[in-house]
Amino acid sequence: MFRKFYLLYGFLTLSTAAFGQYRGWSLDTVNQLKNVPKSVRDNPGSYRSVYAGYHHYTGGK
Amino acid sequence: MSAGAPPLSGPPKPQARALNCPQCGAAITLHSFGQAVTVVCASCHSILDAKDPNLAILQQFAAITRDFKPLIPLGTRGKLRGADYEIIGFQRRHSKVEGISYSWDEYLLFNPYKGFRYLSEYNGHWNDITVCKELPMVEGSSTNYFGEIYKHFQTSDANTDFVLGEFPWQVRVGEHAVVTDYVHPPRVLSSEKLNKEVTWSIGEYMYGREIWDAFKLPGAPPEATGVYENQPSLVATNVTGIWLAFAAFTVFLLALMAGFDMRAKKEPILQQTFQLNRGDARGEASFVTNVFELTGHPATVEVKTSAPVDNHWIYLNYALINQDTGQAWDFGREVSYYHGYDSDGSWSEGKQTDAVVIPSVPPGHYYLRIEPEADPLLPGLAYSVDVTRDVPVLGIYGIAFLALLLPVVIISFRAYTFERSRWSESDHPPMQLSNMSGSSGDDE
Repeated sequence: MFRKFYLLYGFLTLSTAAFGQYRGWSLDTVNQLKNVPKSVRDNPGSYRSVYAGYHHYTGGK
Repeated sequence: MSAGAPPLSGPPKPQARALNCPQCGAAITLHSFGQAVTVVCASCHSILDAKDPNLAILQQFAAITRDFKPLIPLGTRGKLRGADYEIIGFQRRHSKVEGISYSWDEYLLFNPYKGFRYLSEYNGHWNDITVCKELPMVEGSSTNYFGEIYKHFQTSDANTDFVLGEFPWQVRVGEHAVVTDYVHPPRVLSSEKLNKEVTWSIGEYMYGREIWDAFKLPGAPPEATGVYENQPSLVATNVTGIWLAFAAFTVFLLALMAGFDMRAKKEPILQQTFQLNRGDARGEASFVTNVFELTGHPATVEVKTSAPVDNHWIYLNYALINQDTGQAWDFGREVSYYHGYDSDGSWSEGKQTDAVVIPSVPPGHYYLRIEPEADPLLPGLAYSVDVTRDVPVLGIYGIAFLALLLPVVIISFRAYTFERSRWSESDHPPMQLSNMSGSSGDDE
């Protein structure tokens, strides 16, 4: 019973990996936005990045 | 026989023999006809010679019957292995191992056409037992029976504490036998040596629910506690097969990885170097790249940033914007590299490159909006941005590998702990951690 379950589970895992690879899935976190105005191209400063104001690491041990 | 009991299967209907106990006069009925050798009077606990027409008294023992109440009452009938059986005898036995007494119950079952079989019960674990048809071959610490190898589990003294009903042998309370068990789950081979006579029997593990269903007993069977010597493990028999399946899946996964890697276009879309000048800090820092086209099906887009930072950082607010639809992927990436030397020696952290993979970007015309920020101490820096279309994501294979491995590890661990529990009760317990640490204590 476990073996049958595992065979099915393994097949689904491989299928998911293949589908994800084909569809271009990624593990990185990227924020998706819609309807960004066309004026951004002419005036890049009018766009506010979600990540602006990020607290930067200043390095050192 | 009770009036309402169904008839046992088979053509002619044998009759039970009714007698009276010569000690107390209580009525005694023999259900196994001419096959009973001894019969026990339930009233006065006299063991009587069933072969003797006068029922000679062989032994009398003192016992409080309520202390030895069988879970399946004598006279109960049920269907086991496709045949009807009646419970005609019951005995409680015990053995002492390292000063601890373990007791179990044995039930004698009878069918006039099939003969005898036995049920044993210990801590909610049941075994269906029959006498061996062939003499097993003992080979060192294992036994071969019909080509199946049984491993030695335990040898112990079995002492009879209580008997009730009728038996096809000379049963006695206080009787000592040497019992040796060999296991091949779900079966157990047992040799029972009494005086100079050795009897071999084979048992098969049964769940309490099966017994209750077979004899249509009311309520629920006692819950099984611990792992019994021949209890089948739900996972152990599958471990090798599951590891083989895992190996096969890993090969498929590697093939998948190689196939997608060969198929991936890894198409360079944009390769540009930009200059960060601190002198321009008062002006607008953000800018956009030229428009580029992404073709094909929705696929990944990798944005790689390289900056020769040295004990500094640079941070880039990126937005990949579809010029036609207004859809955008917004992300911030930092490139920082620090190194130095302290009392522990040299150290470093971070690196001078960074890559991010944007998922499932549909075809279209795109541009990048970049807004750089940098360490205020950094005077100026040239950094490069590389955009590549359709790159494979190795992390997906890593997750798939772990997903395939996890159930195998869990099943293997469960099988290991199950077998460890089983053999910890045997004459061959697995090595204990306490035993190992004990030797170091002696040295002190």
